[in-house]
Order: sequence, then structure tokens, then C-alpha cells
Amino acid sequence: MEAASVSHLEHDHHGPPEANKSSRVDPAMLGMLLFIISEIMVFGAFFTAYFFIRVVNTDSWPALGQEIPWAIAGINTLILISSSLTLHWALHSVKSGNRFAFKVGMLSTFLLGACFLFIQVNEYIHLGYSPTESAQGSIFYGLTGLHGAHVFIGLTLLLMVTVRAFRGHFSAEHHRGVEVPGIYWHFVDVMWVVVYATIYIL
Amino acid sequence: MSTTTLPPETNTAVAIARPQITVSNANPPRKGWTSWVTTTDHKKIGIMYMVFAFAFFIIGGVEALLMRIQLGVPENSFVDPQTYNGLLTMHGTTMVFLFVMPMMAGLANYMVPLMIGARDMAFPRLNALSFWLLTMGAAVFYGSLLFSPPEAGWTSYAPLSNLAYSPTGGIDAWIFLIHLTGIASILGAINFCATIINMRAPGMGWSRLPLFCWTILIQSVLVILAFPTIAAAVTLLLTDRHFGTNFFNPTAGGSPLLWQHLFWFFGHPEVYIMILPAFGIISEVLPVFARKPIFGYKAIVASAMAIAFLGLLVWAHHMFTTPTATVILAFFTIGSMLIAIPTGVKIFNWIATLWRGSIVTSAALHFACGFLLLFVIGGISGIMLAIFPIDWQLHDSYFVVAHFHYVLVAGAVNAIFAGIYYWFPKVTGRMMSESMGKLSFWMTFIGFNVTFLVQHSLGLSGMPRRIYEYASGNDWGTYNMISTLGSFLLAAGVILTAYNAVRSLRKGPLAGPDPWKANTLEWFTSSPPPPHNFDVVPRVRSVEPMKDIRRQVERASQPAASDHPSVSA
Ligand code: HEM
Ligand SMILES: [Cu+2]
Repeated sequence: MEAASVSHLEHDHHGPPEANKSSRVDPAMLGMLLFIISEIMVFGAFFTAYFFIRVVNTDSWPALGQEIPWAIAGINTLILISSSLTLHWALHSVKSGNRFAFKVGMLSTFLLGACFLFIQVNEYIHLGYSPTESAQGSIFYGLTGLHGAHVFIGLTLLLMVTVRAFRGHFSAEHHRGVEVPGIYWHFVDVMWVVVYATIYIL
Repeated sequence: MSTTTLPPETNTAVAIARPQITVSNANPPRKGWTSWVTTTDHKKIGIMYMVFAFAFFIIGGVEALLMRIQLGVPENSFVDPQTYNGLLTMHGTTMVFLFVMPMMAGLANYMVPLMIGARDMAFPRLNALSFWLLTMGAAVFYGSLLFSPPEAGWTSYAPLSNLAYSPTGGIDAWIFLIHLTGIASILGAINFCATIINMRAPGMGWSRLPLFCWTILIQSVLVILAFPTIAAAVTLLLTDRHFGTNFFNPTAGGSPLLWQHLFWFFGHPEVYIMILPAFGIISEVLPVFARKPIFGYKAIVASAMAIAFLGLLVWAHHMFTTPTATVILAFFTIGSMLIAIPTGVKIFNWIATLWRGSIVTSAALHFACGFLLLFVIGGISGIMLAIFPIDWQLHDSYFVVAHFHYVLVAGAVNAIFAGIYYWFPKVTGRMMSESMGKLSFWMTFIGFNVTFLVQHSLGLSGMPRRIYEYASGNDWGTYNMISTLGSFLLAAGVILTAYNAVRSLRKGPLAGPDPWKANTLEWFTSSPPPPHNFDVVPRVRSVEPMKDIRRQVERASQPAASDHPSVSA
């Protein structure tokens, strides 16, 4: 085959050549970042619905007779933000080889996240109105529910990392499996701050 | 032990001296259909995508022919109104989501790793997942035929698609399809981005990336930005239909216009998602058969980026007839017309590529030239429609049907056919019949124009789109008859290429690694390529690595190379 006769590669290994590496970004990390961009667009579409109802249709917010429990959700916001801090701590610990702190960090991140979801569900139960009465109710449940679903996905990822942490996986050299789901969790947290700011505060 | 420049055969011969590693009980490679279902090889997945897509092209084509039969004569009762609406919706949705997109995904799956000299995609298992999600979506969508197909058009506007007007499960099957193809496309796009960014061959900087890969990269970015919007929109539609929410219900504070904005924020980029890879195919085929380098590589890349960027900002040109302030209409008119500039840049680059080339009139080049000619017509009718006072007259008429078939059939489909004739030898190891290909080209070219050129006149004389019958007594009957006749010639041309492909699988002459003397790395390996793609990956020194390699071989085979003036650039 003419292909091989012009090879100028020095290779003393056999089999196919090494995989190319044309960028310094890690593919898994790049994939996660692109995925997060697509997630942001999903939220963007829900926010479009929100602003459509509130700004374009100039309906009252929330609908007459409905209330939005901004104080409890505020506490919940603090809980979620602290879970980002514990996650950061966990990642820092695994990088510096402190396994105990890593495990505690992962576990507390998971528990804080679960706590957030629990309070959110509780909020739904005591809200006193359903998604079906008005478009305002629909988008309130829509946006917080969309976010809640992301918390759930994030928690699932965190659970896997936590279990692996307790089984002794990951080390100072190998922690990509913590970093990549971690980025997702930070995204979920930041997104919550945006959701909270727009629909509870604004 | 160093075996610097020996070909692999010698290489293995030398290696015999080494102790061999023997494996017992290793899993033998799978054979038969399980080797396809379980594969993560980008080439096999690519072939499955392409076969899948072509099958749906035929199905969507049959639906189109049934519609054309119904419309052939006035007051026809070949199909009833419900059936027509079902055919219409299935046809549009099939052609967009189950033919053009999977076909481009298939070509890209097969070609992108080869063109950049990689062994596979960045995430091979994710790649298989994308394909299988797509098939699940298609199965449910076509499963609805057994019950009640969707009838709200490929745009499924609310409130038509709400439970009140579409009570059957057809719309839900449509929603399911959109969700699954959406996830499949987004995962696929992430995979293409990671592959192209991370896995290029040594020396293949951004300015040496093949143009097809560039368009796939840009298209992937569009998919990542646009598809989430439609995924969100159909989710809202689903909850409106089944959980009583009011997103699109104006009586409870929602708005049907919200659907239109969300849909078209996806829908307009979607047309570029379909056509950008077509641009890429044309940019690969033209230089090979003009036997000269592509004219203005950088301009072609930059204009693709500009088109993608502008394409995200013009969605409301599909909504000119909704109540909207005139300034906003003007903004969307101007934005849409701006897209003509980068598109024109491309057209002129392609013409300049052909200019004074030593043209090889292959079947692939026929289709590529058909693309050039007809896509321009579709582009010009597009600019007409972008002018909002004109659109007020022509909106929802057959002029629009003519316009989008000029860009989709004459644009995307011609490019796909050019791609098929160009890459078939690489994928199968055999050549397709060129003469049959040229005949197929002339049949589709003439058939296409007979079918769709008159539809401009139909639209101008007032025939609305999406109607299942019309009264006699004006000239619509004549135009429609011409159109229906043309569609059968077009279909015959398509079938001829399908036949050509199937026949060539066995009877086609063997192709060898590089039958066209092409430019890009996929032609460096054997046809079809081995599972690992390349034994050695050459260092890339230009946009046309294969041309460099051929020159090097020529020079090496001429003993007194120094007697000749050097021809290398
Ligand atoms: C093979 C030749 C084709 C023929 C004869 C054909 C014919 C038709 C007809 C008769 C309609 C219905 C028009 C109406 O009632 O409003 C239609 C609609 C449509 N076609 Fe085609 N078509 C062909 C190929 C394609 C291809 C390749 C694509 C896309 C890549 C495509 C995309 C569409 C879309 C998006 C619609 C609109 C559906 C809707 O209104 O919801 N068609 N076509
Ligand atoms: Cu558009």
C-alpha cells in the first residue's frame, strides 16, 4: 500500500499509532462544558416562557391571591451554596491526598443537596396552588421543577462519586471523576441562584 | 529495534523473532447482526446512520408522492383530509429529523475521524447511544401510524397541537421523537466537537482542518445552542397536554406566540444545521474534481461561522404575520438579508474553485454543480420572503413550499448525493456506476425543477400550503398536474441511485485506497478502512495532505529528482 511506504514516523511499537492529542483540554471535561451550555439553553427557554408571561403578557407576578415563599427558599439557597463550598473542599482534599477530608466533603455535599431537594418538595406541598390554575403557577412549578430535576441528576452523580470515594477510588493524580461531575454540580448551584433571583426576588 | 520506513508487511516479518503473546479464551470478534448492534466503531455506526436515513428518505418520499397524487387534480378524493394532514406531518418531520439530520450525522460519523486521522470518535459508546436513541424515537413516531399519526405539521403550532384540537396520541409520539432525536443530536454534537478539537493528526492545525470537518464543528455548536430550546418547548407542550399547565393557553395567562418563538428559535438554526454539512460536502467535492485547491479556504470557514451566528438571530422571519412592531419586523428582515452576504461569499468561492480547473465531470461533480445552481435559486426566493411586506403576501402559500424545497431538496439532497457518489468507494471499497449516476442526476435535476419551479407560480396565484384539495376553475389544476408529474421523475431518479448503490456493493469495480486522487486523509487508508483506521498517521503539512503525499511518492520514484525543477508549493 502506498500509504505506508511514505511513512516518516519512527515507531518501534506495534499496532495502531498512539491516539492523537491536538488540544490540552481533557475530552471529558470539554464534553461536560458543552453539555452545560446546552443545559443553559434549556433554562433559557424556560426563562423565555417566564418573561413572556410576566413581561410580554404583563400579568401580575405572582398571580393574584398566590404567594411565593421567598424566605424559606432563601435559606434553601444558602444550603445549596454551602454544598458548592463543601464540594470544592472535597476536590481540594483529594488533590492534596487528604482522603478523610475528601470523604467528609463528598458526604456533606450530598447531604446538603438532598436537604435542598427535601425542602423544595416540602415547599410544593405547602404552597397552596397548583401548576394548573394560571400560567404564573405553571411557570413557577416549571422553572423550579426543571431545576429540581437537575438537582436530582446532580445528586445521582454525587452519590456515585461519594460511594467510590468510600471504596477508596481516586487519588491525588486521578481525580477527573470528581472534577467532571463537580463542574455539573456547581452549574446546578449557580443556576439556582439565577432562578431564585428572578422568580423569588425580582 | 528500529523499522523506520519499512512498510507494515516487512514490519511484521521482522517482528516474528519476538516472543508472541498468545491469548486463550479471548472473546472472538462478533459476527453477523450482533456485530452491528453492539458496535462502537464510528464506521459501523456511520453506515447504520446512512442506511437508516436513506430508508426514511424513501418512506418520506412515498408520503410526498401520495400527497402529490392527491393534489394532482382539483377536488380529488384519493386521500381524506385527516390522512393528508397525517402524511404532511410525517413527511416534513421524517425528512428533517429522520433523513437529512441522520444522513449528515452518518457521513460525519464515518468521515470526520478519518479526515482528521483519528482512530475513532472521542466518546465511542456515547456515539452508539446517540444512534440507538434516534432509532427508538423513530420507532415510536412511526408506531403512531398504527394508531393515529400526528396531524399538526412539522411545526406543531399551539393551539392546534393542544389536547383540545389534537386529542389523539399522535402529537405525543411526535413529542417523543423530538425529545429523543434532540438528545441524540446534542450528544452527537458534543462528541463531534470533542473529536475535532482533541483528536486531529499531528500537524493538523485549525487552518488545515478539512472544510467538511469545519462545517460539522460549526453545525455541532448550532445543535448545542438550538436543540435545547425545542426540547424545552415540547416539554411545555407535553405538560400543557397532559398535566393541565397553561403555557400556551391564552385564557389563563399563557400565549400561543410563545410556542412560535421557541419553535423558530430552534427552527431557523435547524435549517443551517441541515445545510452547513452540505456546504462542507460541496467544499470537499469541488476541489477534487476541479483538480485545483479550494479557492479562499479561510473565507469559506469564516463565512460558515458568520452564517451560523446570524442564523441564531433571525428566527422571527417565520413570524412576520404575527402582531409585531414594525421596527422589530425590519430588524428581522435586515438580519435575514445579511445572511445572504456570507452565503454569497461561499458561492463565489465555489465558482472560483471551478474556474479554469481541469474539470473531471464525475457524477459527484454533477450533483455538486446542481447544488450550486439550484441552491442559489432557493437563496434568492429566501431573500424575497425575508422582506416582510412580501412575506405578508406569500406567507403560508406554495411559494414558501417551493422556497424550502429548493434549499432542502436541491440544496441538502444534491449535496448528500454528491457525498454518496464521492465517498461510496471509501465506505464499501467499490465504485458506483458513473453513467447511472449521471443519468440519475439528470432525472432528479429535471424532475426537481418540474416539480417545484411551478410551485412559485402556484403560490403567487394564491394557493395556500397545507391544503388537501382545491376547487377547479382556475389555473391551479394545470400547475399541480405538472408538479405531480415532475415528482415521479424525481422519485425515479432517486430510486436509480439507490439501485446503483445496491448493485455496486457487489458488482462495482474495486476502488483501491484513493480512486479520485483526492486531498484529504480518509483516502490515505485502505477502502474500506480497517477497524483501527490507520496503521500510521502521516504528519499533515497543508490542507491537502494527500496531494503532498502523492507528490512525495512521485519524487521518490524519480531517481534523479534534482534534474526536475521542484513543483512543491
Ligand atoms: C422527494 C421529493 C419531495 C416531494 C415531492 C415533496 C413534496 C412535498 C409536499 C407535497 C408537501 C406538502 C405541502 C403542503 O401541503 O403544504 C411537502 C411539505 C414539506 N416538505 Fe417535502 N417533498 C419532497 C422532499 C422533501 C425533502 C427532502 C425535505 C427536507 C429535507 C422536505 C421537507 C418538507 C417540509 C419541512 C414540509 C412541510 C411540512 C409541513 O408543512 O409541516 N421535503 N413536501
Ligand atoms: Cu428561517
